[in-house]
Amino acid sequence: MPKVTFLPDNITVEVAQGENLLRAAMAAEVHISATCGGRGVCGKCRVIVEDSEGWREGGLPSRANSKVEHDGNPQRQDPELGLISNSYGNLTEEEIQKGYRLACLCTVEGDVTVRIPVEARRGEREVLERLKEAAAYGVMLTEEDVASLVKGVTVDPAVKKVYLEVAKPDLANNADDLTRLRQAAKAAGYKELEVDFLTLTNLSEVLREQDFKVTATFLKDHHNLHLVRVEPGDTTKSNLGVAFDIGTTTLFVQLLDLNTGEALSSASDYNPQISFGEDVITRIIYSLKGDGLKKLQETATKAFMKLATEALEKAKRKSEEISLVSAAGNTTMAHLFLGVSPKNIRQEPYIPVVTHWPHIRPQEIGISNLASGSQVFMVPGRASYVGGDITAGVLASGMYNSDKLTLYIDVGTNGEIVLGNKEWLMTCACSAGPAFEGGSIKHGMRATIGAIEQVRINWEDHEPMILTIGNKPPAGLCGSGLIDSLAELFLAKVIDPRGKFHKNLETKRVREGKSGWEYVLAEKEMAATDYDITITEVDIDNLMRAKAAVYAGITTLLDNVGVGVDQVEEFFIAGGFGHYLELDKAIIIGMFPQIEGSKVKFLGNGSLMGARLAAISAEMADITHQIANKMTYLELSVDPAFMERYTAALFLPHTEVSRFPMVEKLMLQS
Amino acid sequence: MPVETVKETYTGKVREVVLGSGEGEVKVGGQTTMPFYTFEGDMPNKPKIAMEVYDETEEWSDWAKEPFADVIDDPPSWAKKCQDTYKTDMVTLQLRSTDPNGSNTSADDAAETTKKVLDAIDIPLIVMGSGNIEKDQEVLKKVAEVAHGKNIAIGPAQEDNYKAIAAAAMAYNHKVIAQSPVDINIAKQLNILITQLGVSADNIIMDPTTGALGYGLEYTYTIMERLRLAALQQNDDMTNMPIICDLGLETWKTKEAKVGVDEEPTWGDPKTRAITWEAVTANSLMMAGADILVMRHPEAIKLVRNIIDSLS
Ligand code: FES
Repeated sequence: MPKVTFLPDNITVEVAQGENLLRAAMAAEVHISATCGGRGVCGKCRVIVEDSEGWREGGLPSRANSKVEHDGNPQRQDPELGLISNSYGNLTEEEIQKGYRLACLCTVEGDVTVRIPVEARRGEREVLERLKEAAAYGVMLTEEDVASLVKGVTVDPAVKKVYLEVAKPDLANNADDLTRLRQAAKAAGYKELEVDFLTLTNLSEVLREQDFKVTATFLKDHHNLHLVRVEPGDTTKSNLGVAFDIGTTTLFVQLLDLNTGEALSSASDYNPQISFGEDVITRIIYSLKGDGLKKLQETATKAFMKLATEALEKAKRKSEEISLVSAAGNTTMAHLFLGVSPKNIRQEPYIPVVTHWPHIRPQEIGISNLASGSQVFMVPGRASYVGGDITAGVLASGMYNSDKLTLYIDVGTNGEIVLGNKEWLMTCACSAGPAFEGGSIKHGMRATIGAIEQVRINWEDHEPMILTIGNKPPAGLCGSGLIDSLAELFLAKVIDPRGKFHKNLETKRVREGKSGWEYVLAEKEMAATDYDITITEVDIDNLMRAKAAVYAGITTLLDNVGVGVDQVEEFFIAGGFGHYLELDKAIIIGMFPQIEGSKVKFLGNGSLMGARLAAISAEMADITHQIANKMTYLELSVDPAFMERYTAALFLPHTEVSRFPMVEKLMLQS
Repeated sequence: MPVETVKETYTGKVREVVLGSGEGEVKVGGQTTMPFYTFEGDMPNKPKIAMEVYDETEEWSDWAKEPFADVIDDPPSWAKKCQDTYKTDMVTLQLRSTDPNGSNTSADDAAETTKKVLDAIDIPLIVMGSGNIEKDQEVLKKVAEVAHGKNIAIGPAQEDNYKAIAAAAMAYNHKVIAQSPVDINIAKQLNILITQLGVSADNIIMDPTTGALGYGLEYTYTIMERLRLAALQQNDDMTNMPIICDLGLETWKTKEAKVGVDEEPTWGDPKTRAITWEAVTANSLMMAGADILVMRHPEAIKLVRNIIDSLS
């Protein structure tokens, strides 16, 4: 891997070939001013190339003799160099000759040494030393890793298509159509069928359309085998499933090939129910008024169809090919998706209508254009505030089958936590609110293109260094950008440990705006928006509450079981973060206890992964029922100790800073 | 068979804070044990009484006013009477009149009163604002300024105005009273925040917010006890400041201290009732770890003094 050395600090990092130079600086904790999110517009991220692999006599090529157009399409030039400028931005010819480059427009191809000129440093920042014993980032799991977590998954979905050649009737074999179909199925190993009446209405035509060659769809449901569909000819190739994660804030679908288990495409969007309320409680209240429940359900099913259609289009497939939907959501979202009143979830003793749902026909909930006989499988939940999304996550993490003491944390709107191993599971929910998904944050957004996902703030002059997803003009802040911002504002002493701005700083970035005090991350000139992108004191307050709830939940659960955080052998963190939830930033703000990076695995969307496993394997779907039954639920709302832990955590990093030795050390540096 | 007394040993110590100047210096705190458990550790300074002086007494009952009838409209003379006649350890000047929802007297007036009271006494002074977030910042800044060199204590510094008040205390070398809303975590957080401003932890006195008997006393009691245990057992240097209980105001606000025989004929003599109410509240808070008791009535004070003397 190429090495990048930053002068004058003389800090070297190894990065993957092709890494963006500004991201390399971020990884090295070297501060370079960068306010346009890394798209070459602000011109602040200047560096001077001092040495570069393959350095040629005569210095770097100038614009005059390179193929790079000033404004034209970026085009790689001079592949021998360790550093490649994809464009020079607004640098002058003279500057280019002198070796100036814009870091955000450069990719690292080989070993390179760059100097950060004084104007880009703007005040010395002590180099924030990341603790070596804690890998800064934890491990972001890949598809293959996830596959290896849950051992022994074989693609064997509950809904299967089987090609059958049914015996032709004649005067000697005059058994009825269904009987002959049963015989063919039996010969293929599908015995004792329960037959869906609807398959019979046109069975005679279907059988005869392609000379008694048909494809039968079977649904395995606990111990029974149902015949749910018969099609003419061989359509076994077209058996699709959809995994659906019904988040309070965000919806995800993934289109699956049920024959191979492969994910074909995916789509996601905000849950449009948000317009009826940001959290589950307000939505429950809405559902109780007039036709509120119906409206919420329609909104959910429509949103599902829209996302499914998007995924189908991407994969060039048709909705009639979908024979199974496997959905996971928190208990309220599940009720609302199915149009079942969540009324009693809200009030003590918090009772849902159902946690283990029967198989559902899509038509029964207003979804009509899937394959006839298709099914909706709902991943079962445990309680009103620990739903199928968590069961699914526990499945995907493999912790239900692990010898190691594991802590699973889902940082969604409701922040659920599960502790245990293959012997036992204990769970609780702490209402974190939608802040980590960009909800209830003035300029919050989902982790999509243009979202600010990494932030550094200079300790001297309080200038930011920001990076957006896709290096596009900043449009808002996603969860990881928010966590970064909070940690950085705190370490740079822009806010106090309660999250209140220090108002006497010499910087224009801290100001009193329309909605109170705020820090300007990106001026509108640099942003994709026609307003400045800021993080306000109210946003910070919401983040503080969210992180305090998560921390208090974790510690309450651990204390109830009587284990210390050091005894936990493995941590899974799930949630809709971008690629960059920096573990140490989450520890700096006191959201997670100080845990060793090497024990941490980022699962991404655990709910979606679990829903997918349950779609492609009937056995996994069965296991979700076992997991849900195995979880012991701890109700935090009746635990007075939780409230006190919460207040203690409403502080950066925590009222008891000694619990965070790493942060204590950093605070001394800053 | 002789019974062996079980003894706790503590590693921590309550900070000793000095108030006042010159001859009139008074020390509070400094103990290495729970209140009056002198068989387990030291209690170098007994709890101190800081008698109240008001710049406004409109709603007071007759039996509350009685001992001060001759000085009630003149805070300096009132303070002097507390010092000379009632031998109080310190004086607490309660600047009620500055409340913008009340008489709304100016910060300058408050500073003027403070100055005069300081001139009238030799013992340490504590100045408490009205509790109004905005106004207290203004008032206490002026108060701190005129009291420069007198090493007084000013407060209450709350979560939302501690910066200005602690800065004023720091600028003029006074002590700051950090008030938290009956919450152990916020008490500690406020101490951290104030020290982060540059105020030495030795210049902070904690006010956990006092509930009078029947009005939340038990909550205050628990919080105080826990703060003290954290200081002594865990050696927590952000909870080991001396504790002040502003109980005079809270007790005399209660119905039990205020209503006369006409309203509650079965409740007995109102004066005895009110004095007892204050003494019981003070006594309980003292057992929980109070280092400074802000009190009103000389007879209630006499009762509490008796207890202090008999216990130590
Ligand atoms: S030009 Fe590189 S970050 Fe703005």
